[in-house]
Parts: sequence; C-alpha cells; structure tokens
Amino acid sequence: MRVPLSWLREYVDFDLSTGELVELISLRVQEVDGVSRLGVLEGEVVVGEVVEFGPHPNADRLSVAKVNLGGREVQIVAGAPNPYPGARVPVVLPGSVMADGTKLKKAKLRGLESYGMMMSERELGISQEHTGILLLDDTCEAGSPVEDYFPVGETVLEIDVFPNRPDLWGMIGVARELAALLHTELRIPEPAFGTGGEPTEAYTLRVEAEDLCPRYDLRRVSGVEPGRVAPLEMRRRIFAAGMRPINAVVDATNYVMLETGQPIHVFDAKLVREGIVVRRARSGEEITLLDGSVRTLDEEMLLIADEERGLVIAGVMGAEEAEVGDETTDVLVEVANFDGRNILETSQKLGLRTDASGRFERGLDPNMVGYAMDRVTGLLAEETGGRAAADTLSHYPEPVVPWEVPLRLERAKLLLGMPVEKEEATGILRSLGCEIQGEDGRLVAGVPTFRRDLRREADLIEELGRLMGLDRVPEDLPGVPQPGGLTSGQRKTRLLRRTLADLGLAEAITYPFGPDRWWRDLGLDSHGDVVRLKNPLSQEGSNLRSTLLPGLLDAAARNRAFGLRGGALFEVGRVFLSNAPEDRDASLRFRLTGELPASASASGLMGVQEYPRVGAVLAGILQPAGWNVAERRAGFFEARGLVERLVPGATFEPGGGGFLHPGRRAAVRVDGVEAGWVGELHPEVAGKFGLEGWPAAAFELDAEICEPDPEPRFEAYANVPAVGRDLAVVVDRQVRVGDLLEGVRSLRSPLLKELRVFDVYEGGQVPEGKKSVALSFTFQGEETLTDETVNDEMGRVSGLLEAEFGASVRTS
Amino acid sequence: MSVTGRIEEVKSEALRAVAGAGSTAELENARVKYLGRSAELTDIKKSIGKLPPEDRKEVGRVSNVASREIESALASRTKALAAAEREARLREEAVDVTLPGVPYPKGHLHPTLRVIDEVVDFFVGLGYRVAEGPEAETDYYNFTALNIPPGHPARSEHDTFFLDEGLVLRTHTSPVQIRTMLEGEPPVYVVVPGRTYRRDSDPTHTPMFHQIEGLAVDRGLTLAHLKGTLAAMARHVFGEGLKVRLRPGYFQFVEPGVEMDLSCFVCDGTDPNCKVCKGAGWLEMLGAGMVDPAVLEEVGYDPEEYTGFAFGMGPDRMAMVKYGIPDLRMFFEGDLRFLKQF
Ligand SMILES: [Zn+2]
Repeated sequence: MRVPLSWLREYVDFDLSTGELVELISLRVQEVDGVSRLGVLEGEVVVGEVVEFGPHPNADRLSVAKVNLGGREVQIVAGAPNPYPGARVPVVLPGSVMADGTKLKKAKLRGLESYGMMMSERELGISQEHTGILLLDDTCEAGSPVEDYFPVGETVLEIDVFPNRPDLWGMIGVARELAALLHTELRIPEPAFGTGGEPTEAYTLRVEAEDLCPRYDLRRVSGVEPGRVAPLEMRRRIFAAGMRPINAVVDATNYVMLETGQPIHVFDAKLVREGIVVRRARSGEEITLLDGSVRTLDEEMLLIADEERGLVIAGVMGAEEAEVGDETTDVLVEVANFDGRNILETSQKLGLRTDASGRFERGLDPNMVGYAMDRVTGLLAEETGGRAAADTLSHYPEPVVPWEVPLRLERAKLLLGMPVEKEEATGILRSLGCEIQGEDGRLVAGVPTFRRDLRREADLIEELGRLMGLDRVPEDLPGVPQPGGLTSGQRKTRLLRRTLADLGLAEAITYPFGPDRWWRDLGLDSHGDVVRLKNPLSQEGSNLRSTLLPGLLDAAARNRAFGLRGGALFEVGRVFLSNAPEDRDASLRFRLTGELPASASASGLMGVQEYPRVGAVLAGILQPAGWNVAERRAGFFEARGLVERLVPGATFEPGGGGFLHPGRRAAVRVDGVEAGWVGELHPEVAGKFGLEGWPAAAFELDAEICEPDPEPRFEAYANVPAVGRDLAVVVDRQVRVGDLLEGVRSLRSPLLKELRVFDVYEGGQVPEGKKSVALSFTFQGEETLTDETVNDEMGRVSGLLEAEFGASVRTS
Repeated sequence: MSVTGRIEEVKSEALRAVAGAGSTAELENARVKYLGRSAELTDIKKSIGKLPPEDRKEVGRVSNVASREIESALASRTKALAAAEREARLREEAVDVTLPGVPYPKGHLHPTLRVIDEVVDFFVGLGYRVAEGPEAETDYYNFTALNIPPGHPARSEHDTFFLDEGLVLRTHTSPVQIRTMLEGEPPVYVVVPGRTYRRDSDPTHTPMFHQIEGLAVDRGLTLAHLKGTLAAMARHVFGEGLKVRLRPGYFQFVEPGVEMDLSCFVCDGTDPNCKVCKGAGWLEMLGAGMVDPAVLEEVGYDPEEYTGFAFGMGPDRMAMVKYGIPDLRMFFEGDLRFLKQF
C-alpha cells in the first residue's frame, strides 16, 4: 500500500519526521518496505505569469519565456511549446532539489540565461504527463507559492500490508492506526451531495448467486459531463498512490478505493440492458475483457451481467460492453462485496490479478459498501457535474453486525509477559474502533465490522501488544523441565558429516530435483518408483532423486567446467521412492484430513518413502603432488577406504549398479545387510555426466547403517612385547586377497592381534599367472611368546594357505 | 732407560695422540695403538713376570696408572668428539622450515549446516530436543493442521510443489511441530531444522532452502520467554551484547505474531553505508509468535491450560549475513570454490 503523506494528513494530524513515522509504523503496525519521493524535495516553487513566449534564437526545439514571478521578471528557457502570454505556470527556482536528488542551478541554455524551470506534471509528481508545461488555473496569483494550491513535493510510504488486514489497503485504515498510536483524532470525510438525478430503479438488480455476493449496491448518477478530467489534486493523489489518472469518472472510483479499500465499478448506464444480474457464469461462456483478451469462464466464476451478456468478471475485470468512455453521460455505480475465496480462485484460474481482485480476495467488510457508495456518489456529483439518483438498489439480505469478543486482562498479561492495565487496554481498543464494556479484569469488546481479523481473545491481545509497544516486553527464559539433546541417530549423522569433512571432502547440498536424463544416463529404471513433481519449475527438475549420485556428478562436472582439476564432494540427504498405498481412498483421506484408520500405518499411507543417505563423488586429482607427497587421484580404493572408515566391519563383494566400472565396483554389506555400493564410474557414464577421461569414484550408503565411531569396549592386554612376522605367498592370480585374509582370520588364533597386507605383486620373479601377496602378522599373548609358539602359529597359517588356496610360501 | 721411564714416555705420547685426535675414528686408532693387544704398554704388562722381583711391583703400578690415565683421556675425548660430531650432524640435518608440511586435509562443512549446528547446539543446551519429519509431506500436515485450510489465500503464497494428490514437498518445517505435538503431551520443547521447498527461483529465492523452526508448549509460557530465548540464541550465533527488537508480524499459526530484528553485529547502526545492514542498523532475523489457540486445539492440547511460542528462521540467510555471502544461489551449486571457504 502506497501512502502519500500529504493525503494521510487529511485524516490525521502528526508532527513526525519521515524517519520517525517509518519507525513508528514499522514497530507498531506493519513493516514499511520503502519510502519514495515525488516532485520537489526542497526549495521553492512559485506561480509564474508568462509575459512573453517565443522561440529560442539558437535552438529549434527550445522556447524562451519572460515570466513574472510577482514583482520581478525572469527569463526561462523551456523545452515545451504550450505556454502563452498570460498563462500561469509553476516555476521551480534555482537551488531547489528535485525528487531524483538533482539540484537546480541557474543555467545557460544555448547561450540564454534560464532562471529556474517551468514544470510539467511529471516533474511535480502529478502524473506521467511530460509533453507540456502544466498550466495552472487563472486564479493562481503570480509570485505566490504553488504549495498554497497543492503540494509540490510528496513523500510516499510503501507499507507491507499483512493478508489479514484488508482495512490497511485504504488510507482511512492507515490513518486510524496512526491516530490510535498518537492518541489523536481521526477525521473521516462526510459525504455530501444533492439528489435529483434520474432514478436508479429504471434498472433492475437481481442477485442470483447470493452465496458469492453478500452485498451488491447500485446507484445511478446522470447528467455527467462527458470527457471531464478530475481535479489536479485528485489526480496527483491517485498518481502518488501508484495508479494512473484516467478521467473524472474512473478517477473518482479509484480515489474512493484508495481511500476506503473498497473497489468500485462503473457502468455506462445507456449500455446496460434492462438491469444488472449477479450470477455464476455458464460453463464455456466467453467474455472479451478491457485488456482485449477473450476469457472462457466456468460455472464457479461470478459474473456481473445485464439481461443479455456478461459485463464484468466480478471483482476482477470489466468487459468492453458497458464500460464508461468519453461519451458517457449516465452511469451506474456498483459497490459490492464478493466472497474472497471465490475471487481468489477465479483470478488464479484465469491468471489475472488486478488491484480489485487483490483486495476482494482478502475478504472485505460489506458495511464499507454504504460509505464508499456515498463517498463516490458525492465525488462524481462534484467532479463531473452529474446528479445522483435519490434511490439506491441494494441487495444485502444478511447484514453483518459488530460481534463481541471477551478479553481477560489476566490472559493478556500471560500471553504478553508484561503487565496490562485496564485503562490502557480499554483506550487502545477504543482507538481501534471497538466498543468496550465489562468489569474488573473481564472486558467485552464490540468489534467494528471492518476489523474482520479480530475474532478471538488472542487477536485482541495481539493488538494490545503491538500498540502498547513490543519494546516493553521483557526478556525472560523458561525453565525447561526436560533433558534435551540429540538422539543417537542425530549425533551419528553429525559425526558422519564431520568425519568426511575431516578426511578432506567438501560438504555439498544439492537440489533433489532432477531430469529424466539422470536415470537414463545411469541406466536406472525411471518408471517404477521415481517420485514425480506435478508442477516442476522446468523439465530439468521434474523428478525427485532416488540416488544422491547424479546431483553430485553434476556438481563435479560443473567444477571441472570451471577449471578445477578434481575434488571430493559429499552430501548427507534424503532420496525418495514412491510407494503406492494399497488403499488409495484411505491414503487420500489421510493426506487431506490427517485421518488415520486404526489398522493402517501413517508411513504406509504417505505414498512416498524417504531414505537418508550419505554419498560422495571423488573425481580427478584429489590431492595434487606436493614437494614431499605424491599426487592422489580418484580411484576405487580411495572410495573404498572412506567406506571402511564410515562402516567398520563392512564386507565388499563385486556388485553395485551398472553405472559403475564392471571390474571396479562392490556392493557393501554389514552383517549381511545391504548398506550401499562403492566403485569407479563406468567410463561411458562419466562421459555422459561431463567427466570424460577423468578418474571418478563414488559411494552411496544408507546413512543409518554407518558407524563412524562405534561404541568402544575395553579389552585386556598384557605388558609383554608383541612379535611381528612377515609372510609372502604366491597364489594364482585370481585368488582374492580378501579371501586369504578371511581364511587366516578363520583360524581364530587368540594370539594374532593384527593382520595387514603390505604388498601385492605380479611379474618379475613371480611366475606367469601368479601373484605374490605379502602379509604382516603381529602376535601377542599373555606371556612373552617363544619363537616356538610363534612358529607354530605361522605354521598353521602357512598350512591353511597352502591347503585352501594352493599357496606356495615364498622364501627369500 | 728404565722400564718405568719408558712407560712414562709411552703414556705422554699416548696422551698427546688422544688430545690430537680429530675424530672418533682417529681416537679409535689411538686406542688400538696404545691400549690394544699389540700395544707396547700391553707388552710391558705381559712381560712383568720376567722382570726382577724387586722391580715387578713398581712397574706394575706405573703401567696400571698409565693405562687408566690413557683410558680416562680416551673416554673424555670420545665424549667431546661425539658431542661435536653430533652437533655437526644435526647442523647437517637442518631442513628449510619454510617448506610446507605434509598436507592433512581441512574439513569443509556447508555454511548453512554450520549455522544449523550452532543454532541446534544452543537449543539443545537449553534442554530442547531436535525433531525431524518427512520432506514429502501431506497436505493436511503442511497446511490444514496449521490453520491454512483448503482455499485459504495463504496457500497460494506458499508456491507449493505438488507430488501426488494430497502430497506436497513441505513448504516449511512447521508440519514437524504438528507431528511432534500429536505424538506426545506437553511440555514440548523442540527445534526443527530441515530442508524446505517452494516453487520460486530468482536471485533471492531458490526452490530449496532451509528452515529452523522451534516450538515450546508448557504452562505459563509468555511472549517474554519467546523474546528472551530468541535474543539469547541470536547472541550465541552472532555475538554477545547485541540488541534485539520485536515488530508486529503475521504468520498463520501464531497470535500474536512478531518479527525479531538483531542490531547490526558489524556497525551497530553507526555506519550508513554498512554492507551488512544497508545502514538500517538492524538485521531481520526471524519470525515468531505465541502459538495460535486453534493450533493447540487441533492437536488436542487445552489452550486454557497451555500456552506456547513458535519461531522460524532461515539458516541460509543467516549464513549469508554471518559469512558475508552475496548470493543465495551459490549455496546449492556444489561449487568447490565456494564450499572450500567453509
Ligand atoms: Zn551495519
């Protein structure tokens, strides 16, 4: 809502700087989003009488004038040709500051001195009009300040109006708030007009869709002088408030809308056939709107029609059919109240939001209709020369009356956390228009109908809090009667993230939206259980991810495109799979009403399952070579090492998706339970994701199965030295080292404390088709181990490796 | 020359040799030469038995004294030389300490999650629990249960992503509060961080963003508790000594509703050109309010017995302010040039 301050002063007196006013409104009413200025900020604008006017000798497009400023004559160069000797014009004097901040100086234009400037409407903030100099009324006296006739500078507050306060969409509503804050008087204009025009009842009014139209008033104003322009001050105010002045009739309706918040429509009475019908549109009914568009309506849309055709999509926009124009002499004024939700739906369905629909959709006060009708009738009579009809056709079967809301001061004190005195509370609520009764701490407020948001005690308490001042609320802390803390799962998730970060990965958060391409390029089925968005922002984001991988790959490719040579990203987030419920009706009831049948589980009825995952992509060079360290590149074992760190006890078997390198991928299991996968990216997939030619490895795990820091358990140890032995065995190339290790562990040697692979080697002295595997053993017992004991253990190991894996023990 | 005279001579010669040795190797040579198996002094000691009995005692004593003196000289010279040599070796081993060390990785946690962790830690310290809920949420929990029934104008402002019928991507974390209240009885003290979604994409809006909401329901909770709690939280995250102020705010499920501003932690309102607060002196921090009685009723709590406060903040925007990040869109691009700064 744009609030021109000079207009606001018509209703309420205030002696505050703009800054103070902004702060007061922001802290007590609603936020002021901005302050804009129009016209002349400071300086002098006086009425000048043009004495001479003629072409500039040195410039085709310029003119030069001698202007009497009341007692002195100055020369002014002008860009517009419309002044003439005898015309009164506004002249801004040198030294004045314009709205855009420029300071006017005495200037020489093409060799001629120019003292100040004759002003257009735009320069004065009256309208967009800039083709000519504004010509003032001949009654304006040369030399007197223009300010005597209308404001030459305007400050406009842009107030952010909450959706539950449609009353603040009008100047009177804003003024009422300000008057309440300043404990001062609110002046509401008294409409006054004579009657004697043609009767309204020459037309009929029939409201068929009563449920969508609680009130409809119609009044005729006849004898309108066609083509009149609204008075300058009205146009100036309308423009300052952000609308375009059009003609005297339309401007009067817009003016009253800005004043009261109540939209008003006017018909050319001569074009209305028989009368007004308020009805639902017929399915498929078409209407050609003022903006030239043809709209097709449905049966839920409210139409203002005459007996033959639609004239207005109620509360949204009028058709060409009965609009007022330059020839209009007889008008029917509509001031009505429509069901807000219906207007909202109509405007959404049509994709058409107007000043009027934006106001109606909030739900307006039907009692505002009467005042707005009188006010606009008065203005029309005054500004257009028309005569109002003595009668109004009104359809208002169920008048809304003020309602009562009880208020306990104790409750106010409890909610606000500060003392609330009866006198202050009563004063505040009265200043908002409430009638207050009641004894002791129990009050009853009669709420005026324009405050539809005040329905309950809590609503009144909110008003008390903000008008008393929220700065008076002290700071206090409740005593929380429960032990807080993270659950073990939450602690684990956090540890998971910190562990990966400490291992040198960067934590990313990626969008869970993805294109069909993701599934296609990964070779995953995208039909079955992928969750789709009904209204994605674009096709690039039409599905919810079922794996973290593609989002991270896109990020890796992006990093490559920006010239990075590699890196490691991880994300902890959810993936989504659809999970169609068996009983669709029960599911819909649950989703829409929260109703949960006794036999069903909420998760079964949701229809979408979410799985917490941790995923990482390692791509390119993870760590460039340093002077003392070798370069590290992405590869299977880099990724596997991270998985081992996150999931102690994990086992790895060939497996994982087809998007991975068929020889370098593994399914990860913990205690036989599937936990995820790890592997190098299939080169073809890497290429599709923009990582062609780069080494890239990735993993994705069930985040809940990870145990980056398992609960430790103490094991006794003896103070005797450990004994180390190494053993190199030669086995067939296809024997898997993991199986060798598993074999050794299956011996369950109580003395074997540590087993490590320290070399795997092929070629050289190792026969073709074989490989050498070097193992390091650490033994420790409760007493110092003798060579014999250790030799026995190593003998058992060698024996097993020979027997089960055909290993030959290498002697060096 | 007498044998003892010769012993004295050999001893002097040996002591000179020891003193003149420049390395432990030369010293070893001297040891072999003067005390070794074939040394003259050794020979003399071996041949004592052949001397006349009256000389044996004296020669034995003198030769033993000579041996001990040489040994002692050797020992102290060895020690001195070893020390010198070690020092020389250490000098030799000096490295260029200005060369970088072995690289240990530095962690990079996402800025939004850093803020979330800080806020969560604060509330956990007060005794709050952390609640989570689904991101694909039902229409009922996301809207209706929060006082936003079908057709309510506030719904259209949520720019909702729709999945299946009655199923949306949650537009706020508020449904988790409802779920929490439905699961148990007061007192409730929870904080709810999470991802949220709105169908909106421009320089200042991303279709995914984060919220941290919180809820306290108990007997006797007031707006003063809300103010005190959130002021302490803001000071925990942005710095001690900062001021807060409340303004009226409008949120569907609180009444009264407030917005909280924090005094600018960079300029405290003293710099009209401040980049952080744009000269306003205040930073918009969060929205909050006393839980609407209708919401309490909806979950079966008696609003006459219990009151509560709820709040919501945007950790992405808080991270922008805290770390000076100019553009929200940077948060979700996975760009290492961005992520590696945190
Ligand atoms: Zn600042």
